[in-house]
Amino acid sequence: MANSNLPRRIIKETQRLLSEPAPGISASPSEDNMRYFNVMILGPTQSPYEGGVFKLELFLPEEYPMAAPKLGRICLDILKDKWSPALQIRTVLLSIQALLSAPNPDDPLSENIAKHWKSNEAEAVETAKEWTRLYASGA
Amino acid sequence: MDFDDDYYSGGEEEDQMLYTDDDTDAEDFDFIDNASDSSELALSNRHHVRNYTVLSESDIRQRQEDDITKISTVLSISKVAASILLRHYNWNVGKIHDEWFADEEKVRSTVGLLENPVMEYKDASEATCGICFDTYPSGEMLDAGCGHPFCSSCWAGYVSIAINDGPGCLLLRCPDPSCCAAVGQDMINLLASGEEKEKYCGYFTRSYIEDNRKTKWCPAPGCDYAVDFCGGRGGGGGYDVTCHCSCSFCWNCTEEAHRPVDCDTVAKWILKNCAESENMNWILANSKPCPKCKRPIEKNQGCMHMTCTPPCKYEFCWLCLGPWTDHGQTTGGFYACNRYEEAKADKEFQEAEQQREIIKNSLERYYHYYERWATNQSSRQKALADLQQMQTVHLEKLSDLQCQPESQLKFITEAWLQIVECRRVLKWTYAYGYYLPEEEKAKREFFEYLQGEAEAALERLHQCAEKELEVYLNVKDPETDFNCFRTKLSGLTSVTKTFFENLVKALENGLSDVNAHAASN
Ligand SMILES: [Zn+2]
Ligand SMILES: [Zn+2]
Ligand SMILES: [Zn+2]
Ligand SMILES: [Zn+2]
Ligand SMILES: [Zn+2]
Ligand SMILES: [Zn+2]
Repeated sequence: MANSNLPRRIIKETQRLLSEPAPGISASPSEDNMRYFNVMILGPTQSPYEGGVFKLELFLPEEYPMAAPKLGRICLDILKDKWSPALQIRTVLLSIQALLSAPNPDDPLSENIAKHWKSNEAEAVETAKEWTRLYASGA
Repeated sequence: MDFDDDYYSGGEEEDQMLYTDDDTDAEDFDFIDNASDSSELALSNRHHVRNYTVLSESDIRQRQEDDITKISTVLSISKVAASILLRHYNWNVGKIHDEWFADEEKVRSTVGLLENPVMEYKDASEATCGICFDTYPSGEMLDAGCGHPFCSSCWAGYVSIAINDGPGCLLLRCPDPSCCAAVGQDMINLLASGEEKEKYCGYFTRSYIEDNRKTKWCPAPGCDYAVDFCGGRGGGGGYDVTCHCSCSFCWNCTEEAHRPVDCDTVAKWILKNCAESENMNWILANSKPCPKCKRPIEKNQGCMHMTCTPPCKYEFCWLCLGPWTDHGQTTGGFYACNRYEEAKADKEFQEAEQQREIIKNSLERYYHYYERWATNQSSRQKALADLQQMQTVHLEKLSDLQCQPESQLKFITEAWLQIVECRRVLKWTYAYGYYLPEEEKAKREFFEYLQGEAEAALERLHQCAEKELEVYLNVKDPETDFNCFRTKLSGLTSVTKTFFENLVKALENGLSDVNAHAASN
């Protein structure tokens, strides 16, 4: 029902995400709602998140691609004022992967991590590794 | 008097009049020989050289058009490109010139103006839209001159979202995130709906005022005029401007006009008033008990001279509740009700005022200044309403009754305009007084003297324009002394105007003459 009049653009993007996945990123649409994606991103090597798998939920609103995809509380400029309809799900997920490699404490992926990050980078790296081990491994 | 007539040593004769103690009674203003001359003078002074220009919407559009033409001619670029540049450079024509001729390429790439349009996709018969991913004949595709093709319905959606998102649409770029090509007004005209185009034009006009450091909108609600302020603060004009809608405001802080007080003091004072407003509301109720018979008397006239209803008919001062006979020159005393003094009223009266006192005591000093500030404010409002009434009803009636052409009654309008202006100045002197440090004794003393004189002068003018005029409005036979009234009111207007102008200058100078005085004494 929700899938019956899916725009061509979403169908094409989905097909490409499935047939040519970006390295370290998997995104698959939910069976009952093709606008709803389950996303997994591998923690980038050499990053505090190495060895972890991040699970995200991505939703394409009715106005997509004129409006940005919805992605929980992730803080990314391209999901807000920098969104352009010429961007894609793939570009968004690659940006998140880049964010995991070099977290920007002023643009927090998570407020708590950011707090640690600003005060003590070494300690924050340890915390991130610990969280990766506790929450993200073996998912 | 410590500070007397040599204060304004460079002043004109009229200045001196106010500083003599015995000659200021209203009846004595016969030194002005030609009343009509003096009112003409007052009129021309009101329109002294202005360092600002009021702009209507069409003035703004015209200025924009002129700037666009200028840039387009000098840089040999299209008008669309010129508007894009002006928008980016906040309508700073000089800066565009400088930067363009220093490094045209750099300016082009920052702003997103491509010198030669890229059209590669047009070579193929079809192209894929970068938004909907559908394929169209390339002739039906559009791009911002950068060669990134999108179909017209995707473009329309893109433009519509940007316009409905706000003035950011004026800096719209190609949808391709790697491309900075600017989307100009020609594209908007092609793609946007009528309503959206109107919105876009509105933002475009607004940008001229809002992005320009020399222009601001008039803050009066519903007013569409803007003010272009050319002068610096110098020249003694301050920042006060008057819009065509008759709203006077400070161009710098956009609060109401507040000479002689500076913007910082005004901001502090407004903040203070917010903090104290609840207490003040109670105190500033519109009625006070008559100090003699205790019946509540409502203040319904602009001046401070109150007369209780018959049979009491007690005359008192609204501010200090003291007998009116203690005020003014006839008692030889000095107009002291602007000074803070312990309540002098009798004990019985104090009891009636007990609750008032409780609040007063906690805020005594502030209350003193605030009440006078607010009273002058409401007197000003009242004077504005009276002026309106005068112009629409009374002047005509007076003209009939006194057999005078209305053109001969301009002096009355002049008087009321002066009252309105003086109430405004006087009001702000109370904020000035509140922040004048207690330690600066000589300055305070001088300030209070000047303020007292100002109150007295204005009170005389207000009284004459309000109450003495009433006589002529109610008499059927032409009064022989109407010309006396004219001479008196014109004289009072002129003298009061000069006095207030000097007062404003003195306060804006931080009462610096006082130090010289103190040193010489
Ligand atoms: Zn399209
Ligand atoms: Zn482009
Ligand atoms: Zn206005
Ligand atoms: Zn100001
Ligand atoms: Zn009474
Ligand atoms: Zn008084």
